[in-house]
Amino acid sequence: MIDRPHILWIDEPSAVGSPLLGGKFSSLAQSVAAGLPVPMGFGITTHAYRDFIAAAGLADEVRRVRAAALTLRPEAIAAETRGLIEAIHTAPLPPALEQAVRGAYADLNRRTGETATAVAVRSSGESEDLAGASFAGQYETYLWISGADAVIAHMRQCWAGMFGDAVLSYRHEGRVIAAEGDFGICVGVQRMVQARAAGVMFTLDPLTGDRSKIQIETCWGLGEGVVKGDVTPSQFLCDKVRLSVLKRTIAAQPEEYRFDADAGGVGLYPIEEDRREQACVSEEEVIELATLAKTIEKQRGAPQDIEWAIAQDGTIAVLQVRPETVWSNRPARPAAMIASPIDHVLARMSGKAVATAGKAGQ
Amino acid sequence: MTDNSGSASKRFPSLFEVETPAGAEGWQKLYPYYAHISEERRPFEEGKFWFFDGMHNPDPLYPFDMIMTENWWVAVSQMSTRVWALPPAIGIDHRVINGYLYISPNAVTDPAQIAERAEYFARRAGHYFENWDEIFASWKTKAQACIDELKAIEFIPLPDYEPEHSVTSHAGTYSSLDLLKKYNRLIENMLTMGSYHFEMLNLGYGAYLTFREFCQTVFPGIADQSITDMVSGIDILLFRPDDELRKLAQLAVDLGVDEVILDAGGPSAVESLAGSEAGQQWLAALEAAKDPWFWYSTGSGYCHADPVWMTDLRLPFTAMLGYIKAIRAGTDIRRPLEKILARRDEATAEYRALLPTEEDRASFDSLISLARKVYPYVEDHNFYVEHLHHSIFWSKVRELGELFVQNGFFEHRDDIFYLHRHEVYDALYDMLIGWSVGTEPRGTTYWKPIITERRSIRDALARWTPPPALGTPPETITEPLTIMLWGITQETIEDWLGVDASSATEFRGVAASAGKVRGKARVITETDQLYDIEDGEILVCRITAPSWAPVFSRITAAVSDVGGMMAHTAIICREYGLPSVVGTGFATARIKTGDMIEVDGNIGIVRILEAT
Repeated sequence: MIDRPHILWIDEPSAVGSPLLGGKFSSLAQSVAAGLPVPMGFGITTHAYRDFIAAAGLADEVRRVRAAALTLRPEAIAAETRGLIEAIHTAPLPPALEQAVRGAYADLNRRTGETATAVAVRSSGESEDLAGASFAGQYETYLWISGADAVIAHMRQCWAGMFGDAVLSYRHEGRVIAAEGDFGICVGVQRMVQARAAGVMFTLDPLTGDRSKIQIETCWGLGEGVVKGDVTPSQFLCDKVRLSVLKRTIAAQPEEYRFDADAGGVGLYPIEEDRREQACVSEEEVIELATLAKTIEKQRGAPQDIEWAIAQDGTIAVLQVRPETVWSNRPARPAAMIASPIDHVLARMSGKAVATAGKAGQ
Repeated sequence: MTDNSGSASKRFPSLFEVETPAGAEGWQKLYPYYAHISEERRPFEEGKFWFFDGMHNPDPLYPFDMIMTENWWVAVSQMSTRVWALPPAIGIDHRVINGYLYISPNAVTDPAQIAERAEYFARRAGHYFENWDEIFASWKTKAQACIDELKAIEFIPLPDYEPEHSVTSHAGTYSSLDLLKKYNRLIENMLTMGSYHFEMLNLGYGAYLTFREFCQTVFPGIADQSITDMVSGIDILLFRPDDELRKLAQLAVDLGVDEVILDAGGPSAVESLAGSEAGQQWLAALEAAKDPWFWYSTGSGYCHADPVWMTDLRLPFTAMLGYIKAIRAGTDIRRPLEKILARRDEATAEYRALLPTEEDRASFDSLISLARKVYPYVEDHNFYVEHLHHSIFWSKVRELGELFVQNGFFEHRDDIFYLHRHEVYDALYDMLIGWSVGTEPRGTTYWKPIITERRSIRDALARWTPPPALGTPPETITEPLTIMLWGITQETIEDWLGVDASSATEFRGVAASAGKVRGKARVITETDQLYDIEDGEILVCRITAPSWAPVFSRITAAVSDVGGMMAHTAIICREYGLPSVVGTGFATARIKTGDMIEVDGNIGIVRILEAT
C-alpha cells in the first residue's frame, strides 16, 4: 500500500510535486514546503480514485464516455454520462479506501482539536496542469463540510464532477483536454478559514501584463464571490518593487458568502449597513498580501494567480497558487526601440511621436 | 466627472473679472506696466490659460522681488524660443494679478515652424547632451565666479569728502558713479546668475521626462517617486547643509558642549559657548560650516523675506537640538548613504528585471543612464542659484537699503523691497544728487508715505487667496517645465475645473512622497508661522520649501497648494520619508489649522475628516 497511498497530507515531504495530488494540491504542498501559511489538509489521491473506478468496474465506461464526448455537442453530453455519474455516487468504496479517508479526517480533528472540523472539499485534477489550461471555475468546491460521512459524500461529488459537460467539453487552444487521456483526480480536503475577507491576487497587472504590479481583489467573507464573479470586489493595484499601493477602488458590497449555522451551509447573506462601504482589508494587510505575493512569485519563478483569505484574527492564509496563464503564454513585444537615447530625448522634446510597438495583444 | 467633452467648453474666470480685495486699491502701482493686463490686449490675454505660480511666489510679490520673476520671464523663455528653439513650445508669459504671479505657457502650432525649429533644436540641444559633463563642470566654475563677484560688491556710506586717492589717482570718477555702478553690477550679476540658471535646466528636465515617459509606458501607473528614486543622486548639495548640522551636533557631543546648547535651547547658545575653550572650538566649526552651507533659504529663494540660515540661526539650531537629543538617546544620525544607494540600485535592478523583453531592458539602460547624467545639474543648480547666490543677493540689497536709511530715505533697510528695482535706480540717483549738491534730496520725504501705503496694500493682498488658474484652458500642455515643475497636466486642469473651492473636502494633487497618515493640520501662510508647528501635526502650506528641513522632523506629512514632483520640496520630503501631496490647488484655502485631515501620498489625495 505504501507505493499506492490513498491519502497524502500536504505537509508530508513526499507530497511536494507529487502527481498523486493533482495540480492544485501538489502546488499547495509545494507552498507548505516553502513555508507559506496554508491551512492544513490532505489529498485523497488519484490512486484512491483509480482504485475506486477499478473496484466498481467503471474503467471501460469512463473510457467510452470520454471518447463519446469528443464528438458530441456539449448539451448532448449529459445524457451520455448519466449512468456513470449515478454509479460513482452509489458504488461501494473499497474498504481500505473508506478506512483511509475516515482515518485521515479523524487525524485532522486531532490536529485541529475539534470534533468535526469544517473543511473545504475540492477537486485537484491531473489535467489541470496540461498545456497551461487553467480549467478556471470548472470544478466545484464544497465549503464548510463537517463529519466523515459528509466528506465521503463530497469526495464522490468531486469524482463525478470530472464528467460534467463543461469539463468534458472544456477547450484549450482548440483541444478538448479532458477527453485526451485517462486523467485521474485527487480530492483535496482542507480546513476552512473563517474568513473575514478573502480574494485573489495576480503578480502582474491583468489589464496590461505589466509585471511591476500586483493586483489584489478582495471582498468581505469567503472568496467564493470573487472567484465566481457574483460579488464585485474591491481592487488594489500595488507596486511590486516598492510594495506600495498605487490605486484602490473600494466597491460597496451588500452581501457576503459566509457559513450560516441555521442553514447549515455557506450562502450569500446581507452585510450590516456600516460595513458595506468600508474596505474589507486594511492598508497594512494589503501590503502584507502584496509582500506575500511577491515572495510566492519569486519562489515559483513566474507570475502567479493566488487565492487567499484573512481570518477574523487577521492571519493570512494561502488557499491556492497557480501559474498565471494569460500573459505568461503571450509572446512579449518591446514597448519601444530606442537606438540612441539622445536622439530619442530630442525627438520627444520636439513633440514627435516615437514609434512604439505597443503591448502584445492590444 | 466622466464627461470629458464638457471640459473643453468650461473655462476659468477671466483675468479681467478678478476683483481687487478691499484695502488693496491701487495695487497696480507696485509693479511695472508690462506686468499688468490691459484693455487693448484683452482678447489676447483672455484667450490664454494662466495659472498661479505659487511655487516660486506663494505670497504677494514685493516690488523689488519682481526681479526674480522678471528674470525668468526672459531667461526661461529665451531658452525655448530663441536658444534651443524648442519645436513645440515658446516662452512662458507673466502677469501680476492682485500682487500674485500668473504664468502662461505658449505652444507652437504651425507645422512648418515646428519643422524649422526642430533643425536648430536637434543641433544645439544635441551639442549640450553630447558634452554634458564638460559643460556642467564649466557651469560650476562660472556660477562660482558669479557668486564671488556678488560677494565683492559692497555698499559703503558716501564719504563727506572724497578720499585723497580718488584725487591723486586722477581717476576722474568719484563715489557717486561708483555707487551707481555697483548697483548696476548688482542687478546685472543677478540677471547673469538668472541666465545661468536655465542654461541646462530645460534639457535636464527633458531627458528626465523622457525616461519617466518610458517608465510610464512599460509600467503603467508607476509612482513618480519610484522613477525619481532611480535617477536621483544621494550626495546632492541640497542635503549638505543638513549634513553639516548633523556633524556639528556630533561635535557638540564629542566636545561635551551639548549640555550648554540644549540649555540655551537656540542661537543664544553662541554667547554661552564663547566662555570655554571647547565652546570656542565648536563655534569655530560652526563658523567654518556657515559659508557656503548656511546660505540656505527657508523658501524658494525667490523672496527676500524668506529667512536664510546665515542670518536667522533659529532653524539650524532647532535641527541641531533635535540631533543632539537623538545622539544622546543612542541614535546614529548619519544619513545611511550606502544603504540608500544600495536600495536605489536594488530597486532599479528589480524594475529592469520586470521588463518583458531584452530590447526594453536596453532602452531602459540607455534612457536611465542619460537621465542620471543630467540629473546632478537638475538637483545641484538649486543650491548654487536659489540658495547660495540669491541669499547673498538679498543680503546685498539690504546693505543698499541700509544706505538709504542712513540718508533718511527709509525707516528700515527692508523698506527697499517696496520699490521696484527701476525705482531704486531713481531713488539712488536722487540720493547722489543730494550728496553732490549738498542739500536735502527729495527722496527723504517722497518715499516714506509711499512705502507705508504699499505695505498696507500688500498686507491686504496677502489676505486674499489667489485662484489656481484663470482664463481659457488649453487643448494640450507641451511645455516640459509646466508639467515637471508646476505639476500641471490635463488632469490637474480637469480637477481644478471640477472642484468648488469653497466646499471641497477632498483634494487631488501630485503624489510626491509615499505613505498615508491622519493628523491635525497646521496651515502655514507666512514663513514665521513655522515656529508654531507642534509635534505630529501635518504641514499645510502654499508651497513646502526644501530648507524647512528642520521642521520636517516634527511633522507627520506635508500638503501644498502648488508644485509638481520635481518641486524643490518633493526631494526632501522623500528624503525624510514623509507622506506628501503637492499641487492640491486649494488646500490652504479650505483646510484650517486644527482640522483633522488624511494625507495619502501614495495616490495624491488629501481629505478633511473633521473640520474644527
